[in-house]
Parts: sequence; structure tokens; C-alpha cells
Amino acid sequence: MFATLLDQTLAVAQRIWLEQWRQGRGLIFWALFPALMMLLFGLVYAHNDSMRAGLDAMAAGVLMGAALFFSCLGGTVAILVAERERRTLRRLLASPLQPLAYFLGVVLAQSALAAMQVVMLYAIAYAIGARYHGSIALGALIILLSVFAYVGLGFFFGARFARRSEEVVVALSAFGVPLLVLGGTFFPLVLMPQAMQTVAHLNPILYMNEALKAVAAHDAGLTELRAELAFLVVFCILSLGLGVSSYRHLLKLERSA
Amino acid sequence: MNMLAIEGLHKRFGSQTVLDGLDLQVARGEIVGLLGPNGCGKSTTLNIVCGLLDADAGQVRIDGEPLSARTASRVGLCPQASALYRDLLPAENLEFFARLYGQGAMQRRKRVDYLMQRFELTAHAGTRVGRLSGGWQQRLNLAVALVHDPQLLVLDEPTAGVDVQARLALWGLIEEMRDGGMTIVLTTHQIQEAERLCSRVALMRSGRVAAVGRVTELLARVPAQAVAVLQTRDEAATTRHAQALGWSVRPHAGQLLCLLPKACSLREVVQALDGGEVSSVSLQPVTLEHAYLELLGQPLEG
Repeated sequence: MFATLLDQTLAVAQRIWLEQWRQGRGLIFWALFPALMMLLFGLVYAHNDSMRAGLDAMAAGVLMGAALFFSCLGGTVAILVAERERRTLRRLLASPLQPLAYFLGVVLAQSALAAMQVVMLYAIAYAIGARYHGSIALGALIILLSVFAYVGLGFFFGARFARRSEEVVVALSAFGVPLLVLGGTFFPLVLMPQAMQTVAHLNPILYMNEALKAVAAHDAGLTELRAELAFLVVFCILSLGLGVSSYRHLLKLERSA
Repeated sequence: MNMLAIEGLHKRFGSQTVLDGLDLQVARGEIVGLLGPNGCGKSTTLNIVCGLLDADAGQVRIDGEPLSARTASRVGLCPQASALYRDLLPAENLEFFARLYGQGAMQRRKRVDYLMQRFELTAHAGTRVGRLSGGWQQRLNLAVALVHDPQLLVLDEPTAGVDVQARLALWGLIEEMRDGGMTIVLTTHQIQEAERLCSRVALMRSGRVAAVGRVTELLARVPAQAVAVLQTRDEAATTRHAQALGWSVRPHAGQLLCLLPKACSLREVVQALDGGEVSSVSLQPVTLEHAYLELLGQPLEG
């Protein structure tokens, strides 16, 4: 049972890696956007004396918001929509593929992409002068939990809202960008009105941002990040349920098509 | 024992009844074609057999067993549109689906090599699927359906949208599978396809099988030895004239089909009609299309 789950998970992940590798242009765009964001934000922060102290936190925020959000959440939506458009979902439905294996396969594929983005973005950030001060293991854990959560959200949006590939960008703009703003990616939470801050605390992206910024810029440890990590773990469990149920919803739609 | 036995299958979508007590038996090694107008329940039947849909009532047995995850793995589905990963190579598509069916690395490699050779895909081994022609994609689509060596193959309009050359090649492959003892159920809108490939044809109407049998048996149910196709300026007058000659007349697609109870030559038909308002006459042998029209009372779409 577990061996089947593992093999199916690896099969799905490998297939996605191969497709991403072959879609060279798409991969370049996934790399180009966060790289430019890191470069532009980095240059602005480095140029202003008053902002230079925030450079390390900015690097973590760009990684979490501009890179992982768009590649892991946006990429997951794109994967699901492509399955529908190519009618491969029908074939998957007729096969013994377990919904959980499909979800975990996407998580695995996106985690590899995330690892490449971390290396690339931190190389740029380092060149601009940003530094990572905290525990690499804790940072990796936060990133992994975030990828998991983003993929779950991606399944939700991809299965429930986006029907065609043209809608992916619209769905990302409609739901994703507000989530990023409310996640403190562009403005610190303290600048927001109280009502917005209350809503922002329901947003998982806020906890991802806060946690990674705290580790990267202030060497925060497990104890200080208890609340953020607890939220992320709970959200990951919810995300797993959301992902699997969204995949089932997608299959149901395909059945009635 | 039948490879596929369907009894009293019912399915509704909202207020619409799509299957209304469908019965069908498919013996091992047979090719049975489902023929019928759009919306008659062909695809719904296939979807239930493949486990993609649940029936509201009725029973489906595969090799004597009710539908389950176990029986689902004995069925190979070839969807109408080529459901493939366009950025992967043909062998990579086969490999991926073989893996989902739990085949080990060695078994998978052997199976993929075998299918690549059997479907003559080796010449296109280095081409991404999205760059293959429709015919080659459909070949691969068929090969993927066979990747787990199913006992029952389900083909949903296997040659829809491909050119003549590709269609002939696909028919050849399906015939090879039939000769190898594979049991196949297919849907089609093409009379020629059903006549060439199918051991038996099930004519469907309103969610039921209206008639089923070998092509020769279905042809025998048409009360005619030949069919005269008439183009006329006065349909009513020509119909009366033909009926007076003892011919059954069926209006179809702006023409009159006259079912001739005795074989006769074109000259005899023309003489019998004696000019009148008829502008053209042709004589045809009885085909499955005539059987379809006679037994279902409606033209074939598609």
C-alpha cells in the first residue's frame, strides 16, 4: 500500500519535472520574475540608508511572495488546468492513481522547483548585500511547509475556479495578489488598518512571511516561532485535506463532462 | 462466460434519462460496436464500464465479477481525444501510465518497448507527442490504453478526426488485436468502421439497445434485396408510384430510399418508375446504414 503510494507519487513528480524541463521558456519565466523582483527590490533597499536594515527580511519576503507563491500556487493551478484541457484527467481517473499520490507528487515536484529558486534568489540577494542569519534547517522546514500550503491552495483554486489556461493568470490576480498584500509581502502589517490586520491574521501567507523573515533576518529559533509554526502545520494538514478533496471535486466534474 | 455483461443499466443526469434499462453481452474475443445518434447513451455506457461513472441501477460484470477496483484494472480505455502529455515523448507517456498501474521497472521497460514496436512508434521515439500528427497521436492513445495488458479494451470513436490513411492504419491495428483474442467494445459514428471491424453491432436508441447482432443478421432484418435511391421533384407522387409497385419508401436526407423486395437491375428500376418526376436513380446493396435507418427510424449523425 505504502510502496504503491510512494511509486505513484514519484511517477507524478517525475512526469511534472520532465514537462517543466521540456517547457524551457516557461521555466525561464518562473525564474526571471522573482529574479527581477529580488534585484529591483534589493537595489532600492540597498540604495536607501533608512531601508538598508530591512534588506535581509526583504530577501526572505521576495522568496516567499514573488517566487514560491507564483511557482508553487500558480504552477499547481496551471498543472490542474492543463490536465483538464488535455483530457489526461480522464485517463488518470480510469487508472488506479490515488488522489493522495497525485497531491504528494505535485508537492514533491514543486519542492524541487522551490529548492532551485531558493539557491538562485539567495545568490542574487547575497550579491546585493543581503545575508541569511538563521538556521538553514529551520528555514528549509518553513519553506517546505509553505510549499505544501501553496500547493493545497493551488489545488483549491485550480479545481474550483480556473477552467481554462487563460483563466490561470486571472485567477492568480483575483485571488493571489490580494492574498500576497494581506500576507505582508509588499507592506509591513503595521501599516494596515486594524480591520485589515485582523483579516491578515487568517492568511497563511502572513505566517510564512513572518516565520521566514524572522529566521533569515533575526536568527529566530523554534521557541520564538512556536505560534507561526503551529499555524503552518495546522494549515498544512488542512491544505492536504483541501488538496485531496479539490482533486476529487475535479474528478467529479470530469465524470459529469 | 461473457467478458462483459450489462443488465438493466439505468442512468439519469438530472431530469434526463440517458440509460433506460440497457442490456448487452460481449463474448470473449468479440468486437462489439455501439452505434447510435448523439445522446443515445453510448459514451455513458462506456464510462460506467470503465468505472468513471456510477450507474443508478443495473449491473455490469467483467469476466463474471461486478465492477470494482480489481475489474477496473482489467479494462483499457482509449478516449476519443488523444489524452496524452504533449511535452513528453511517446515512450515517456507509456512509461508514466504503466507506472500508475504498478508495473515494476523491468516489466515496464519490456511492455513499453513492445508497444513502441507493435504500434510502429519507434520511428517517432524522439518526437514530443504534441508535435506528432493526429494519426500518430491516436496510435499512441491506443497504445497507452493497452499499457497494462487489459482483457477488455474500450474505444470511444477510435478514428474520429484522423485522415483516411491514419484511419486505415488504426483499423489494421484494431483488427490485429481482435485476431489476437482481445475483447473490444467501441463506439462509432462511421458505418464503414462498424461493418469492417465489428463481430456484432448494437444499435442504440434512447438509452437502450434497439437491435443487436452480426452485420449480416441486421441486414437480414431490412425487408429488401436492394435499395433504390431516388431524387425527385414531386416526393408525394413518386412515393405513391413506388408504393404501388410494392416498394417500401423511406424519405431520407432529401431523397427517397425505396426498399426493393426482389433483386433487380437499374434498368428495371428506371423502367418501373417510368420517368415521372424522378430526376436521378441509383441502386445500392443493403448496407448497415439502411439497417440503421430501418431499425432505428432515424439518420446517423456524426
